[in-house]
Amino acid sequence: MNKNSVWIGEKDLNRDEAFLETVDKEFGTAEVLENTEAVAEQPANRRDFLKFLGFGLGAATIAAGCDIPVKRAIPYVIKPDSIVPGVATYYASTYVDGGDYCPILVKCREGRPIKIEGNDLSPLTQGGTSGRAQASVLGLYDTNRFRAPQIKGANGLSKATWADIDKTVIAKLATSKNIRIVTNTILSPTTKEVLKDFQAKYPQTKVVTYDPVSSAAILEANEMTFGDRVIPDYKFDKADVIVSFGADFLGSWISPVEFARDYISKRKPTLENPKMSRHIQVEGHMSMTGSNADNRVLIKPSEQGESIAFLHGKIVGGSGGGKLNAKAKLSLTKAAAELKAARGKSIVISASNNPYEQILINDINNTLGNYGNTMSFAHASLQRQGDEKELAALISEVEGGRVDTVILMGANPAYDTANGAAFTAAMAKVATTISLDYQPNETNASFNIVAPTHHFLESWGDAEAKRGQLSVIQPTISPLFDTRQAELSLLTWSNSSNAKSEQPYLDYIKNSWKNNQFGRQSKFASFSSFWENALHDGIVTVNGGGTGGSFNVDVALAKAKVSKPGSGEVEIAFYETVNMGNGQFATNPWLQEMPDPVARTTWGNYLAVPVKFNGLKKFIGGLGGDDLKDGDLVKLTVSGTEFTVPVIQQFGMAPGTVALALGYGRTAAGACGTGVGVNVNNSLTTDNGLNQYYNTDVSVSGIVGKEEHFSCVQYHNTIGVKAANADGEVINADEATLGQTAYGVGITGYQGSLTERSVIFPTNLKELKNNVAHLKSKRKAFAKLNDATLYPYEEYVDTKYSQGHYWGMHVDLNSCIGCNACTVACVAENNVPVVGKKEVSRHHEMTWLRIDRYFFGDAENPNTVYQPMMCQHCDNAPCENVCPVNATNHSSEGLNQMAYNRCVGTRYCANNCPYKVRRFNWLDYTTADIFPANQPKVNGEEIPFGADNLTRMVLNPDVTVRSRGVIEKCSFCVQRLQEGKLTAKKEGRRLEDTDVRTACQTACPTGAITFGDRNNKNGDLTKKWKSDLNYHALEEINVRSSVMYTMKVVNRDESMDA
Amino acid sequence: MINYFFRKFAIILLILSPLLLSADEVVDAGKALFKNNCAQCHAKNMKSNATGPALGGVEERWADYPREDLYNWVRNSQAMIGSGHPKATELWSQYKPTVMQAFPKLTDPDIESILAYVNYQVAGGGAVATSAGAGAGGEAVKAGTPKWVYWALFAFLALLSTVLARIISSFNVIAAKKAGVPYVQKTLLQTLTSKGVIGFLLFAGVILGGYTTVNNAISLGRQQGYAPEQPIAFSHATHAGVHKIDCQYCHDGARRSKHGVIPAANTCMNCHKAITVGSKHGTAEITKIYASVGFDPISNKYIEGYEDMSQDEIKDIYTKWIGDTYKTENSLEELDKTGTKLVETQWNNIVSSLTNEQKKSIYGPIEWTRIHNLPDHVYFNHSQHVTIGKLECQNCHGAVEEMETMAQHAPLSMGWCINCHRETEVQFGDNEYYKSYAKYHEELAAGIKDKVTVEDIGGLECQKCHY
Repeated sequence: MNKNSVWIGEKDLNRDEAFLETVDKEFGTAEVLENTEAVAEQPANRRDFLKFLGFGLGAATIAAGCDIPVKRAIPYVIKPDSIVPGVATYYASTYVDGGDYCPILVKCREGRPIKIEGNDLSPLTQGGTSGRAQASVLGLYDTNRFRAPQIKGANGLSKATWADIDKTVIAKLATSKNIRIVTNTILSPTTKEVLKDFQAKYPQTKVVTYDPVSSAAILEANEMTFGDRVIPDYKFDKADVIVSFGADFLGSWISPVEFARDYISKRKPTLENPKMSRHIQVEGHMSMTGSNADNRVLIKPSEQGESIAFLHGKIVGGSGGGKLNAKAKLSLTKAAAELKAARGKSIVISASNNPYEQILINDINNTLGNYGNTMSFAHASLQRQGDEKELAALISEVEGGRVDTVILMGANPAYDTANGAAFTAAMAKVATTISLDYQPNETNASFNIVAPTHHFLESWGDAEAKRGQLSVIQPTISPLFDTRQAELSLLTWSNSSNAKSEQPYLDYIKNSWKNNQFGRQSKFASFSSFWENALHDGIVTVNGGGTGGSFNVDVALAKAKVSKPGSGEVEIAFYETVNMGNGQFATNPWLQEMPDPVARTTWGNYLAVPVKFNGLKKFIGGLGGDDLKDGDLVKLTVSGTEFTVPVIQQFGMAPGTVALALGYGRTAAGACGTGVGVNVNNSLTTDNGLNQYYNTDVSVSGIVGKEEHFSCVQYHNTIGVKAANADGEVINADEATLGQTAYGVGITGYQGSLTERSVIFPTNLKELKNNVAHLKSKRKAFAKLNDATLYPYEEYVDTKYSQGHYWGMHVDLNSCIGCNACTVACVAENNVPVVGKKEVSRHHEMTWLRIDRYFFGDAENPNTVYQPMMCQHCDNAPCENVCPVNATNHSSEGLNQMAYNRCVGTRYCANNCPYKVRRFNWLDYTTADIFPANQPKVNGEEIPFGADNLTRMVLNPDVTVRSRGVIEKCSFCVQRLQEGKLTAKKEGRRLEDTDVRTACQTACPTGAITFGDRNNKNGDLTKKWKSDLNYHALEEINVRSSVMYTMKVVNRDESMDA
Repeated sequence: MINYFFRKFAIILLILSPLLLSADEVVDAGKALFKNNCAQCHAKNMKSNATGPALGGVEERWADYPREDLYNWVRNSQAMIGSGHPKATELWSQYKPTVMQAFPKLTDPDIESILAYVNYQVAGGGAVATSAGAGAGGEAVKAGTPKWVYWALFAFLALLSTVLARIISSFNVIAAKKAGVPYVQKTLLQTLTSKGVIGFLLFAGVILGGYTTVNNAISLGRQQGYAPEQPIAFSHATHAGVHKIDCQYCHDGARRSKHGVIPAANTCMNCHKAITVGSKHGTAEITKIYASVGFDPISNKYIEGYEDMSQDEIKDIYTKWIGDTYKTENSLEELDKTGTKLVETQWNNIVSSLTNEQKKSIYGPIEWTRIHNLPDHVYFNHSQHVTIGKLECQNCHGAVEEMETMAQHAPLSMGWCINCHRETEVQFGDNEYYKSYAKYHEELAAGIKDKVTVEDIGGLECQKCHY
């Protein structure tokens, strides 16, 4: 096995024949194509055809005879000054969901929020966003939301007025002996004050805080070590060596957007400055962060304690970690040496939820002198505050009959904790249960009073994600339904709000800021300017306070209390995915359809099983003796509970380890999230009262079936897949047929033949110089091939693009972490439809921008490269030549244009696209036409997702909603380009690159994507295009792509795996 | 005999065709130019006065002056008035204050073709014009384009083919006789019902039918001339024509947004707080605005809690207003029979105009009927055309200032857009943005190019309007 080879997955590496057969077919296998019953549930025959034909003619005749429908134009009665219909307004706000945090700008059109952008004034995220933040706007228009307050009567919940609710609740609270408010992490200082006011009125109140995925051990460890119960401020931009024990800090751990930006700032090597940080990930399954690591040390999940103890021993001294596997020991010994060499410039972190292991981590960092350098308590993070022990205590209190009122405030403990079943059972014993949530969930299903809150885009609020980093939440639309902000409900009940005010909670916040925040700064002299400024910028930095105490903890005791490795053959790791969290985002179809970055599965959780190389040209499933294949159903037994789950083969898994995502299998998550995947929260174990995200009591059966709709997109739209010809030579699978019949076996580098395709160029940092030289020589060869033409390209460019704009894009593969924020942003910006699990399984996903995942290097422990792949806007585009109706053609600005209204749906273009980026509307996903049979349901919802008028409020009015039967693809966000040009024209100045930014570019947390005008010699893009590491994907086929990628550089130390 | 016919036919064709074509071309070009530039103010029959005077006989009126003067007058009348040209001054004293728009883009041949079209129209669309010294084009115009020529040609050809058919038939008879084969000559009926003729007719039918279908299909959904009745009989002629209110005073989106924007009722109230009775409809129409926003014209105040008022309460307010106005106008103490009826009619009209099945309350936005409808897949931005392109509203919307009822002036078809993009010159000089088109600037400076059109900078490309 060649160490430098690149592959997309097991099927590619094994040259799976069935798979290779599908690769050169544009729309997948015959099996997929034949499965067309969704279009018409019964097969159509000749008679039906004639019927439809007759109907069509008749309908057309009638339609032609009809009058054009009368349309109305409805102006405002009193037009607000700030709104000009047709012009977007942006408001600074903050996306907060529990501890999930992102400062944002909300784009509103005609008063409707339609898109989330990052707020680049924030020192934390610097304009970056996550897929979750991008998708949060759809939550506003969630059909599953509570629409009015409800009280349980004899016939279950029924609609009530707020006056009824207040009367009932106040009466109940007055007589309650013990009130408990259950919530996730609260970032808002004002909400905390509201709770304090509430407690002042009702002193029998306690607040129970827990997190859906817990980091309580870090809080506890820091309390024990430094006397400060917080999460330190990690500065990845200052770390040369990063060792992470299972912490998915780029995907889901604590503050991934912030960490990703900082982390990537140290990983941009150039030929002149070939330096980058070292990232070593110690984990059992391939996490998104692990896939970005230079070296991965494979351990079973239960070995985490031992591995931490082992590293502790190597750095601080003393013994520890004796039971760790030998290979990991060797790797960690080397890691320890590297860490020691980078004193004060390293970070060691762990996602472990064992406080003693976290104490060892603290001791390691302390010994390495990292506190005060790469970690500090000055601006400590407040993004995790929960403690599941409080929840356990609440359950036992309830069981003891001591609690008579529970108020649920944006948490879902019946689903997302290890003791969900116990919690549900306990709630039956509570007399008064009040839900302040904004949508139904497993917990509030049994509650007797529902006082629904606003969506955050309808709310006032604030957040302090890190000490001293304040941000403001402001409403961007009036409440869609009869809801009331949770804080205001509490204030009303504790009689602390000004009932006469129009916006009582705004008054409360302003007052709270005046008393608590204004004094923490000295920049603004008056409160009004301080507040106005905060509201305008969305963020404000004030004094942090808190420095953490001195290091003082019993390390020896901690070392004795690390978790012990399990003895079973198989262990399971439970992890939080980038899109689903622990189920909080299950109601969002954009996130359900966003592929998991590593497994690339959608709509469900798949049991990741290792692939093991057995020396032959064949991988076998690592478990159960059966040859487990993607999509096989197996019976998974965890601590006696049996689940039937589909399998996905995953590279880079520790032997004997399987992994399954949390956050699926919800039972009360509306039409979109209910019944998707399986729920494994009740399989979590607890240690020291804290949830452990692995289980050692596991068995996996043989194949028990096949998943009906296998919705993994990894093998869809593949490019550059290799196969072997009859002589055993490596060829490109997607051109195999052509090559064998017409050209014979080609030579490497020969255009149009069967060669190694230039899609991905991975290199080790040490070999950067050589590989850049290699790349250069390759590109020279490509140039030579491509220039052998009757139509010299340079001349063409000179006549066509030498003036005006000439758009281009640059994607830095070293910065791309695969988080998919861009994919979701693209969906939001361009009205890209959601198609549902069944359609995804039939290769019908519609995303314009996909993130291809490639592995390279060592097959047992590979490195990963993510490649965002969108329309390359080729100057010599193969799609354009084959369109019989000229629906796709080229603009004078270098754009490959797609005119939907001209497309007749031959799909020749998609067939001829070497990058496989064109998408066909097989069905009427966004209900643009009138035949309901064509409108697929995403997940069995009553009204198809795309047809619901509430959901459709999120559509971008500047982008056409495509109907059935047309091709669509990335347009380089042409609506933004046109808008940018118009702005420049209006201001009478030249266009700058900042005027035109694509949705993917602005969404990216790491700045991996740069868009701009190639004719702007001083622009951002021109600078990026100069790098020696750049190349065009498939440069050899002379399509003249407008997108440049960089060579992927990893800083892997091969000796670590020896 | 046959030779003779063919020769004659060929000669006639040779003589006629170039004359017919060139005359057509000039008049057609003139027609297009007239439609795009002049028709907003000048009547198409050239005989009656509209905003501008009838154009028929314009050449005679200007016959005392050099031809150049007429050209300049068309291109920029105000400049000529300024320079004190006697004819110009005379016309100005006759028509002021109506200003004729300047058309600096019209070339001399352009104006000639417009004049040719004017003459063509004056002559009832067929008579030979009498134009002096119009050069090559003038000769062609003289020849005229009589439609009867086509018909004569058609009749002649039909006759010819019948004759030929008879001759062939006769030859066949002779040939059959010679060969001794019995031959029955076909009657005319037999010939007409023969396979060949029927086949030909079917073929022609399909072609003609297809052509008509396609043409009609293309115009499906087009609404040129659409002038629906609106909930309020708002007159652009009064507001924009008589009172000369700037279009963008109300349509304030046009300069800064994709939408021209139908004004909110509070924009109306800026003036109608003071102007409470209309010149044409009295209280009938303006009261609708008051009823939609909740303004009491009697006390000159907005009504508190108007949103929650019942229809009867609202009725009391506005019927009182209508009645009071009627009484004042007619100096009556009490409402007479006519007055009561008037109040009743006006009130009913208010209710029916401001409410519908979805909107039950009188309070709330006025639901206008949308006239200019573009399909969803078309992106159009007003500000691009108004602020950057500096186009007059009338370019696309026609002489709105004369419209009592607003009507769609332009076809709003893609062909119409494209034509304008082909011809319109980009405001290249004074906008720094266009500096990026360095090559065009060089070519303009070197005189290689005389103008840069929208087409030149990509204005015909799909994704300028479709995305």
